[in-house]
Amino acid sequence: MKVAEATLVFVVSAPGVVFAIFGLLWLSGWVPSERVMSRVTGVTFSASTLGLAAIAWSLISKGGASVEVAFGNWFAVHDYHFPLVLMADRLSLPFLLMTVVLSGLIGQFSATYLHRERGFLRFFLLLHLFAFGSLLAFAAASFDLLVGGWELVGITSVLLIAFFQQRQAPVENALRVFGIYRACDIGLLVAVFAMHHWAGSASFAGGFPKLTGAQPAIVGVLLLVAAAGKAAQVPFSGWLPRAMEGPTPSSAIFYGAISIHAGAYLLLRAEPVLAQSGLASALVIAIGAITAVYGTIAGRASADAKTSLAYASLTQVGVVFVEIGLGWIFIAVAHILGHATVRTLQFLRAPSMLHDYHTMHSAVGGELSPTGKHLEEIFPKRVQLWLYRWALDRGHLDTILDRFVIYPLVLLSGLFTRFDGLGLGQTGKRRDAAISVTSPARQGGA
Amino acid sequence: MADSAILLSVAIGVPWLAAILAATGRRHVRVIGATASLAAAFASALLLGSAPHGDSLATALMVLFSGLALGAMLVIPHRDCTPPTIAGMLFILGSTLLAYAAQNLLVLLAAWILTTIPFFPVPWFAAHTWRPRVALLLSSIALALATGLIAMHGHAMTIDRLRGRSPGGMAVFSLLVVAVILRKGIYPAHAWVADAAGGGPTIPTALLLNGHFGAWLVAKLVVPLFPHAARDLFPVLSYLALATALYVAIRALTENSPRRLLAFLALSQSACILAGLESRTVEGITGAVVHWFVVTVSTMGLFGILRLLEVRFGENLTAKRHFGLAENAPRLAVFFLVFGLALVGLPGTLSFCSQDLLIHGTLASHPLTGLLLPMATAMNAITVFRLFARLFLGKRRTGFTVMADALPRERWILAAGVMFVVLGGLFPNTIVAPQSAEAEASLEALNAPLTLGDMDPNRVARWKGHSTLAVPWCKFSPPSEHVSVYRACVRRPMTDDSRRNVRAANCERFRLRHEYG
Repeated sequence: MKVAEATLVFVVSAPGVVFAIFGLLWLSGWVPSERVMSRVTGVTFSASTLGLAAIAWSLISKGGASVEVAFGNWFAVHDYHFPLVLMADRLSLPFLLMTVVLSGLIGQFSATYLHRERGFLRFFLLLHLFAFGSLLAFAAASFDLLVGGWELVGITSVLLIAFFQQRQAPVENALRVFGIYRACDIGLLVAVFAMHHWAGSASFAGGFPKLTGAQPAIVGVLLLVAAAGKAAQVPFSGWLPRAMEGPTPSSAIFYGAISIHAGAYLLLRAEPVLAQSGLASALVIAIGAITAVYGTIAGRASADAKTSLAYASLTQVGVVFVEIGLGWIFIAVAHILGHATVRTLQFLRAPSMLHDYHTMHSAVGGELSPTGKHLEEIFPKRVQLWLYRWALDRGHLDTILDRFVIYPLVLLSGLFTRFDGLGLGQTGKRRDAAISVTSPARQGGA
Repeated sequence: MADSAILLSVAIGVPWLAAILAATGRRHVRVIGATASLAAAFASALLLGSAPHGDSLATALMVLFSGLALGAMLVIPHRDCTPPTIAGMLFILGSTLLAYAAQNLLVLLAAWILTTIPFFPVPWFAAHTWRPRVALLLSSIALALATGLIAMHGHAMTIDRLRGRSPGGMAVFSLLVVAVILRKGIYPAHAWVADAAGGGPTIPTALLLNGHFGAWLVAKLVVPLFPHAARDLFPVLSYLALATALYVAIRALTENSPRRLLAFLALSQSACILAGLESRTVEGITGAVVHWFVVTVSTMGLFGILRLLEVRFGENLTAKRHFGLAENAPRLAVFFLVFGLALVGLPGTLSFCSQDLLIHGTLASHPLTGLLLPMATAMNAITVFRLFARLFLGKRRTGFTVMADALPRERWILAAGVMFVVLGGLFPNTIVAPQSAEAEASLEALNAPLTLGDMDPNRVARWKGHSTLAVPWCKFSPPSEHVSVYRACVRRPMTDDSRRNVRAANCERFRLRHEYG
């Protein structure tokens, strides 16, 4: 194994190893101190950043296209293979770098921010698991492996939303987010199956799987469902403000930087499919444009800083989707990197923003002049009012989801309960037992 | 051979002897139970080591189940560790191993019935409602009738000798399917599983469910004995299994009793096993068997943790409100989450591989209905997280005194279960590869060309002008076009093509009479 390949393996596996070691130590009864945890985090991500910088330098200086590490098949059954291949190419390398740099920064920030917090160790363990999942997803050379990292990002995201576990609202919101993630991930699973079925492989190491006829459109739409779920695009945007229940550092790295852009990365990887299918590209553009408009309107009616930032993120990711749909890959990647960096900074500054405002008000000797009201003023009063109500209810997306998906499921479940109760004298009247996601607690920011 | 017989006797006999000892001795029952389970696990492991390549499923299941029983013996709370309970669990262990090792239909029937016996007497493991008892009884009757019909037709009772001979025809096949549906809890006979878990003792019931006798009957009898009927009629069972997986997943969304909820989860995920077994793809069958292992370990872990919570915090736990138990029992919370997510395909666990294979297998064989599988799994994941959130997260309920987290004994045994699903997930080929070889062999048998020996003997006899007993079984293999003619005549509605085929069949029958008559 060459140095670059060994470095790539180290970068991807290091956070996973840290998670496994500290997790096992905790299970056996040892609780590391905050200092140990933060230092290990710092060393891990610093070394990873240096390693990735070295890989990037070697690729640039030697003019190489990618670094690939093949471990053979993770498992193989008959004609079906699950290739275990890691790859750092010109698309994944920026994402890998972004992940390790921002994870390291968030680690250092959180060492102070979460000092003496009861879930300090839990946060850092989940941060490492998240980084491992993200790196695995970005370094995967096949959609099979990408699914693994993708799911890990999802579960860590949900567990961090429920970080303040002693309160009910974060826990219920985490459940809601988890439900939407899992529902949208079906698209990715079926897309991977379709690629295997039609092209015999879901690997993109040696070029994208060959699809013909209507196949690119089907695969493209399925991937779009998964990407839209992860990136909180319309109609799945309802979960994003709920996710703000987590601690600010996790909101910054998940919904300002990495997790929210994972959907865009998936579409960037699937760009050959989108290029083949006008329908899929058009859908990507349409969803991105609708989300951008939705995000900017809903964000204006948000009362708290983190939710406003989340909607601002949503708007930018919507624009990124449009760029991907139009085939502007380079612009999309540059947009993602810039946006992730700025948004992370904004999220991390959010808790001290009020203090900053007060300082500024003192400096200028009064209120700052309001900005950002140009859009509203071009509409008639009635439309403004309607838009305000629409924005206040966040585009009624949660209501639509509740009414057309969750309530029917609960009703069906109630019917099944009655059927199961036949012969036992039970009528199955358990309306109060309906799953909590039907009466979601509104997000409140943490 | 002799060594195998001795090992088999040890694996099956020691738990039964220990059961008698535990029931009569009344002291050190946990030590007796754990030692006997360990002996059974050790003997089963030795058997697995000597099992021929491609024929190790039974011994692998024996190792798994005895390991599971060992874990149950160690994790069972002190309150439940009574002589009748331990004796019953040992009895179930011995009977289940006997069923896995059975090579004779009568032995299999006996083992099938023996495993259900502890669930009939009310003071032992019986549930409060009648449905579990009736389901177990009816499934035993169905299997007994099938066995009786095979015996009446004068066939051998050894499974190897019956292989591929469709003994008893459609009647026996149907009875076996009924037995599978009832024992496995396939829709519409699914409700007894939740009743058993909700109203019976948790850990013994989990042992009963994790025997997966319905799936075992499919793998052991239905596919080998009726390869061609299975090929044509299995999709029906598959649709039922997929419908069960989805039905139960939806049903679980509003269930609040943790025990019943876990039973629904186990049922939904184990229905996926059946769907995979009949997917007629190597991926699907391999995924089903690997998923079998995962479901067994994970559900046992979940039921075990639930029981530990019940004895600590009371039996009125519900998923209707938050209990915040993670504050008192953080390690149990982690174990619960890992087992729960391992059940629904968490990356890094063995179920990620098994779900991947299952989804590929079922989608390949049934592209539309196969979609139900990922949907059901997604709903189960939501249910797992909901139960976890309600039990362990949220504001801690007042009134709970400070209780111990997982004790060292519990912690190590639960950690062993977690290590199995995690290490299996990191290095899946050690488990997947042997099962893949078995799946290929099984599929080969299923796809083997149809011979007259597989057909209804009376029809064959009429074709040839002989009595049923005079048919030279399995020695006659007509050209494949005759088989298609036969199928066209017997199983499909008459079309123009099939009418032409019937005419061709008549000509062929005339020729056969002259050649063999």
